[in-house]
Amino acid sequence: MSKTYVEDINRNVYDIKNEDNYDYKIQKGLTREIVEEISKQKKDPDWMREIRLKALEAYNNLELPTWGPDLSELKMDEIATYVRPKTGMSNSWEDVPEDIRNTFDKLGIPESEKKSLAGVGAQYDSEVVYHNMKEELIKQGVIYTDMETAVREYPEIVKEHFMKCVPITDHKFVALHAAVWSGGSFVYIPKGVKLEMPLQSYFRLNSPESGQFEHTLIIVEEGASLHFIEGCSAPKYNKVNLHAGCVELYVKDNAYLRYSTIENWSKNMLNLNTKKAIIGKNAQVDWVTGSFGSKISMLYPLSVLNGEGAKTEYTGISFAGEGQNLDTGFKTIHNAPNTSSVVNSKSISKNGGKCTYRSLVKISENAKGSKCSVSCESLMLDDISISDTIPVNDVQTDEVEFSHEAKIGKISDKTIFYLMSRGLSEEDAKAMIVRGFAAPISNELPVEYAVEMNNLINLELEGAIG
Amino acid sequence: MVNLNETPVRTCEHFKINNIKLENVLFPNEVEEFRNINISKVHSNVNIDSKTKKVKLAYGLSEILLEQINNNSNANINIEINSKTNNESKIEFKLDKDNLNLIDNIQITANENTKSTFIIKYESENNIEGYHNGIINVNAKKESEINIIVVNLLNEISNNFLAIENLIENNAKVNFTIIDFGGKNTISNYYSNLIGEKSESNLKTIYIGKENQILDLNYIDELRGAKSNANIEVQGVLKDNAKKNFKGTIDFKKGCKKAIGSENENCMLLSDTAKSLALPILLCSEEDVEGAHSTSCGKIGEKELFYIMSRGFDVKEAMKLMVRANFNGILESIKNEELKNQILEEIDKKID
Repeated sequence: MSKTYVEDINRNVYDIKNEDNYDYKIQKGLTREIVEEISKQKKDPDWMREIRLKALEAYNNLELPTWGPDLSELKMDEIATYVRPKTGMSNSWEDVPEDIRNTFDKLGIPESEKKSLAGVGAQYDSEVVYHNMKEELIKQGVIYTDMETAVREYPEIVKEHFMKCVPITDHKFVALHAAVWSGGSFVYIPKGVKLEMPLQSYFRLNSPESGQFEHTLIIVEEGASLHFIEGCSAPKYNKVNLHAGCVELYVKDNAYLRYSTIENWSKNMLNLNTKKAIIGKNAQVDWVTGSFGSKISMLYPLSVLNGEGAKTEYTGISFAGEGQNLDTGFKTIHNAPNTSSVVNSKSISKNGGKCTYRSLVKISENAKGSKCSVSCESLMLDDISISDTIPVNDVQTDEVEFSHEAKIGKISDKTIFYLMSRGLSEEDAKAMIVRGFAAPISNELPVEYAVEMNNLINLELEGAIG
Repeated sequence: MVNLNETPVRTCEHFKINNIKLENVLFPNEVEEFRNINISKVHSNVNIDSKTKKVKLAYGLSEILLEQINNNSNANINIEINSKTNNESKIEFKLDKDNLNLIDNIQITANENTKSTFIIKYESENNIEGYHNGIINVNAKKESEINIIVVNLLNEISNNFLAIENLIENNAKVNFTIIDFGGKNTISNYYSNLIGEKSESNLKTIYIGKENQILDLNYIDELRGAKSNANIEVQGVLKDNAKKNFKGTIDFKKGCKKAIGSENENCMLLSDTAKSLALPILLCSEEDVEGAHSTSCGKIGEKELFYIMSRGFDVKEAMKLMVRANFNGILESIKNEELKNQILEEIDKKID
């Protein structure tokens, strides 16, 4: 029987390269002088400058991880950590320079803004070039702006929360992020305000041999509700690019946050990202993640269930093709009674790609009455790819219900046979199975993104029944 | 401090499961011959000698412990099986005040087309601080079948280290049943190299941890042969402040077409201070395979407990019944009634 052939993701749109036309690009490498220069360029207040320098020290003291993908090709001396595009930030697409606007046009950002979003932020290299939100939300007290403006205009809130959810010493790349961060979004949803439509930030890295280090800080006050979407992409260059973003989410009592990500970095990108949510009483955070791009990804969002009755759900899919090593997963810490977590992870490996699901579920001593259920499924589309599952389950008290299940395998011949007996061709049967495999994830995405994801998993099946 | 029992792949160090760090464990340098061994009911087609054989292990617990076996072993048993009828042999070690340290090296070769069963039992007198470091190395040749039941009934102040390695050829089958009840620290490693086509490795373990016992179980099956089959089934109970790390790896190596691997661990918690850490790993470099793992963990079922109590049993009795019921599937693989009864008695004693 012939093999299912799954086509590589069509990257045409994502691969549009603009000229590396910047206003300012810092010299490559990472030294105290460079960090101070970034701080100066960004007109940081003193307290932010101090955080950067402290983080640099932490970076120098921390070792590379002794586990996971090999990061030896990352040479910080060859990466420019700050690239300012030739434009300021504006709240009208008209004012964005044409080449940059065209890129975002082709990615469909302004169009979905009109149709289905409450607000949009767009970052190009190290700076946010566009930020806008619907008028009525401003009246309700919602803040949605770039991080730099937030540091300037809401210093007290930022000071209280910035790098407090994720400590700078958490790991080497968080320290790096805090030392050279630039751009990103700040969202504040006041008590009781429920947003009907999502907010979206899109991150585009155009400049070669550079890094993107955006910081996303979201505070959802008591009883409020938000859906936040994050998208990212970059054209492919021959040399390594680096993305080390950081997402800090504070979700207060009875609040709700859905955080969706479609990550489609180019295949020369090292994506070493950190995401963490602190979740209050009866509050809920749902993560929906699609990982398609990058050469190496190491990303494990963390939900800390600190309030009684807090909930979290993780729904994720990874698709690794040739030359890709996607090491992704989820971490959750149950720190209060009656908390619950549900994990549903899927991965597809093909053409020599490697998918690893790596996770931690920790149920602390005081998390009595907590529940956790984890399910991982991996699909191998050929015999040159790799699929690993490395989950840690740490249970420290008895009154819990914990279960973990994982499955690995190829497309079942029986299922194909069954579908064929119902009149489908073998190709259609296989296509249906792969789409069905990904369906629980695409169902969780907003329509436009589900369509995008289905395009990403563009199936082409060939061969005859043998 | 020593690091023991490394997993085949590492994960984040903060998760504290890549290896186990033990402090204040003494590894005796000089040991006298271990005299309290009892080998019984050996069929004439089973040859046993006590020559010292140097061993190399693919995993093992650590270099230090392997060196100790190669340089200082005080009980060497080499077994060669030529019998086609399945006879049961027993090897019993008992640690006492004159035989405090046991460093045993058991080498078993199951020749082609043979069938055999071994019971290997480790016991100790109460109140002695014993030490056990052992290796069981099995080479299962073509078409052979070997059943080994390892029973660890050491006391709760002795340290217990055991490494098991199997090389399994075409159509050969290795079935291990491990009863891990004893030891202050019980650190064990199990590795099967399934190189043969249709080779099979079945490991069934039951454990009970109480008081301050620590168990670290690191089980690894590497499937290389086409249509090979590996199963790991673990049922356990933790009470008081006992702590257990279960690390199980099913590794589908390239070439093991149509292999099947499964792994299941279930831990019953009888106290709110017991700690259960589990890392069920699936590694896969081959397409046409079926792999599954599951772990679960939780309190003893209150409804079931209540039901049994409503039939006139007190809490302790009801708990014993439930633990026995959980272990029953694995205990069924022990055909020796005398041994099975001894294990059931031990379960009752431990749960009391």
